[in-house]
Amino acid sequence: MKAIRGLYLPWCRIRRVPGRLAVIVCVPFLLQPALARAQSQAAPSSGRPLSPRNASYTIDARLDHSRHTLTGNEVITWRNPASRTATSLQFHLYYNAWRDERSTFMRERRLTNPQDATDRRPDDWASIDITSLKVLGNAAADMTARLRYIAPDDGNRDDKTVVEVPLDSPVPAGSTIRIQIEWTAHVPRTFARTGVIGNYYFIAQWFPKIGVLQDTGWNCHQFHAATEFFSDFGVYDVRLTVPIGWVVGATGVEKDVTDVEGGYRTHHYYQEDVHDFAWTTSPDYVERHAKFEHPTLPPVDMRLLLQPEHVEQEERHFAATRAALRYYGEWYGPYPYGHITVVDPAWQSGAGGMEYPTLFTAGTRWLAPTGVTQPEGVTVHEAGHQFWYGIVATNEFEDAWMDEGLNTFSTARVIEQEFEPNYYSQRYFGGFIPWVFRGLPLTREVDGDRLAGYRGAARQDVQATPTFRYWPATAGSITYNKTALWLHTLERHLGWPVLQRVMSTYFQRFAFKHPVPQDFFNVANEISARDLTWYFDQVYRGSQTFDYGVDLFRSDATDQRYHTTVVARRYGDGIFPMVVRVTLTNGEQINWNWDGRDRWKMFEIDREVGAKTAEVDPDRVLLLDVNRTNNSASLQPQGPKAATRWSLAWLVWLQDQLLTYGFFV
Amino acid sequence: MGPGLAFRQGLRRAARAPSIVAGTFVLTLLVALPLTIALRGMIAAHFGASRAAEAALSGADYSWWQEFLAQATGLGTTFVPSIVGFGAVLLNLSNLLDNVPLATTVAGAVAAWLVIWSFLSGGIIDRFARDRPTRSAGFFGACGAHFPALVRLGLLALLVYGAVFRWLQPSILTTLYGRLTLNETVEQGAFLVRVLLYVIFGIVLLAVNMIFDYARIRIVVEDRRSAIGSTLAAVRFVRRNAGAVWRLYVLNAGLFVVVALVYAVTVRGSSPAGLAAWLILAAGEVYILARHYLKLAFYASETALFQGRLAHAGYTAAPPVVWPDSPAVESIANAAPEPRR
Repeated sequence: MKAIRGLYLPWCRIRRVPGRLAVIVCVPFLLQPALARAQSQAAPSSGRPLSPRNASYTIDARLDHSRHTLTGNEVITWRNPASRTATSLQFHLYYNAWRDERSTFMRERRLTNPQDATDRRPDDWASIDITSLKVLGNAAADMTARLRYIAPDDGNRDDKTVVEVPLDSPVPAGSTIRIQIEWTAHVPRTFARTGVIGNYYFIAQWFPKIGVLQDTGWNCHQFHAATEFFSDFGVYDVRLTVPIGWVVGATGVEKDVTDVEGGYRTHHYYQEDVHDFAWTTSPDYVERHAKFEHPTLPPVDMRLLLQPEHVEQEERHFAATRAALRYYGEWYGPYPYGHITVVDPAWQSGAGGMEYPTLFTAGTRWLAPTGVTQPEGVTVHEAGHQFWYGIVATNEFEDAWMDEGLNTFSTARVIEQEFEPNYYSQRYFGGFIPWVFRGLPLTREVDGDRLAGYRGAARQDVQATPTFRYWPATAGSITYNKTALWLHTLERHLGWPVLQRVMSTYFQRFAFKHPVPQDFFNVANEISARDLTWYFDQVYRGSQTFDYGVDLFRSDATDQRYHTTVVARRYGDGIFPMVVRVTLTNGEQINWNWDGRDRWKMFEIDREVGAKTAEVDPDRVLLLDVNRTNNSASLQPQGPKAATRWSLAWLVWLQDQLLTYGFFV
Repeated sequence: MGPGLAFRQGLRRAARAPSIVAGTFVLTLLVALPLTIALRGMIAAHFGASRAAEAALSGADYSWWQEFLAQATGLGTTFVPSIVGFGAVLLNLSNLLDNVPLATTVAGAVAAWLVIWSFLSGGIIDRFARDRPTRSAGFFGACGAHFPALVRLGLLALLVYGAVFRWLQPSILTTLYGRLTLNETVEQGAFLVRVLLYVIFGIVLLAVNMIFDYARIRIVVEDRRSAIGSTLAAVRFVRRNAGAVWRLYVLNAGLFVVVALVYAVTVRGSSPAGLAAWLILAAGEVYILARHYLKLAFYASETALFQGRLAHAGYTAAPPVVWPDSPAVESIANAAPEPRR
């Protein structure tokens, strides 16, 4: 289908739709072609560009709901940002990750879930095919026949997520070309948070997208099960044609809407200085608006697309988005776009908890009790990605920890500031009925920073390994949890004012750029005025685990004095400076500093009073310590009493279980 | 006899047998204690001399709990945060309805409890049917007399419940639920489907349950020996008295819900320190005691309904009322125009 291609229409008329933008009603179904608009897009419309704008897109796409297909036509204005001449072009075709079970994405998914996707029907799979590719110029050359799939990461011949085309005319460094691509895509039942269910669409990674040319060559990875994306900044001018009456949310702001024949409407979205474009459409969305205002930060128009069953959670979504914009803005730097769209995905859509420039998906449940950070947690996190991903655009294929980890750390910090206390909760009866355990408060260090997840995966991968090569089952723990914990440890080691300056400097220095890990480490060393290489060597370049503990603790009475001995031990292979503290029976505390290097170290004192407790790392600076229980010892241990108390709680559970099974007799 | 009267009779008969209520409570406690002691050892070993124990005593320490679970094996893996307070009730009910397999480490205790309860149920029903103290000899004599038939009935029930949970439950709550909600995008819609399917599954499950309940009652009250025969007789009874049987079931289930809600309100949000912590544990035991009473009252009310609805005199001989004669014999004797000598 090429339905979206056409001409300018002089006979369109403008009418008002209550509460919405002006609507341009056109009699025949003819649209301005992407090419014509791409030519007029060269100059920025809002002052000095924030980004290099190396890859700008003008896209026309039409959704055929009955067939779940997208037909698109795009013009990419691409500037060679590298110092080398480009002799070929590489494009991502992400939807082909779900073309069949042989793609790299699916193979990796099956490593940890052999039954994954085995129940999918043919219509549940996806595809994207380029039907025409031309490099525009004086003599536009059709290069469609020269396209070939490549698999730069694993050589998988069945993977069709990257396509390459050799160029007749190489593109010198700094030069710009325009590429016109026509394509068709089949929208899957949701994979990796893009797809359709019922009449709910969330459409991401949906168009042929050019890779990032670096001095070392093309950085255009295949789609992997455990990683996300990487692309250049640009301007997106996108027209989306969907059935009339369907609400559309997308990256950027809606400029205008145009009715076209056949019961369709074209929504025109535009956004500068972003590196991706995602959108959603459904007839069921409830639309709400609010504004973020702050004494020192720029205002932001917040648009919320809610599921009808969640309308009473409107303010919770706005409050969480406000909190993210406020704290990230105060800590790191202002959000520059002036608008943000929060999408509450449909149930079972699998589209929740994902970030795209100026738009993100949150995620909540129909029964969402207070005291549990759903939807707040995911909303803060995805809104926070506008900063760590949207603005500081790191390579998520290779260094996913740089956005996910920094953002998990920041999310936990915001939740601590704004949404505590929150509590442990569980869902019962098919996962529908929540129960909040208000006696089990969650703290930032164990919940937000996700210590439990890290503990089980600490040795699985060295963080410096390119993320797409992580073991899929534990990639998330190394990416999110480990980073957040080592950042939180750094916060406690350096102090928040220092780390805040590190992160804000890094943010401002690398906004609208593609920093690499060493950039962050350099900023950390520079701003803290310390050489932290020893730390990054362990947490980033190594997979050491940290475990310090009290190995021996005695306080012996001798001649009316007490001789107290503490042996602190390093059980793990990670090294971190420690404080060892002894508390005497009169309340006096004695602290020793230990460099933490030796396998064990003995500390001794003589006092008139005996000791009561001994602790290693008493202030819990080292959040990466995988075994906290052994960090302390008491000469009046309460373990037996605590064990009695909690085993009796378990006894009630077991008795209740016996009686529940007593149903059968 | 109507279900309302049977319900009240059940409450009264169970209340008039406090030794049975206390005895079954102690039985459950004794079955659960060995595992509890083993778990206590695991927890104590993990705490060691650590100060983490102090935090765990002054409330729930989620950090420690996660750490304990990370190294726990076997029985220790069942010590999860959701066993706290009313969460325990929800967890057990939800796991039963959703067919979550029983943890193997506690399966032995559950199996032992079921066997012991099956043994005792003969004496319990006998006591409630006679509605008078039967003393130890009478109680345990009835237990022993009916145990073989109750074991056979238990094996039959195992087969039927096995089919219900192995085939019917997944068919309804996994396969059919999955199909009906495949393209559902509204959680409320899916929830309604789930509730509907719970109701359908629940009706089947409760029907099976009440048939085996009345089969058990018929074995004891009518001194039957055949598990199959008593099951068929129970089917006939349930079919002929469907309205009363179901209403009685609903009354008993409703009372359980009320007790559970009271417990939920009592312990909601609690992981307190000091004396309050021990009081909450005591509240848990009171709840467990109440559940025993409810279970026994359920037995008693079903027995009362059965006795009230079925006239035995028409087809049962009237031998001398000397144990181990059946309660039916005694009922007939009591109903006889002249006292027996």
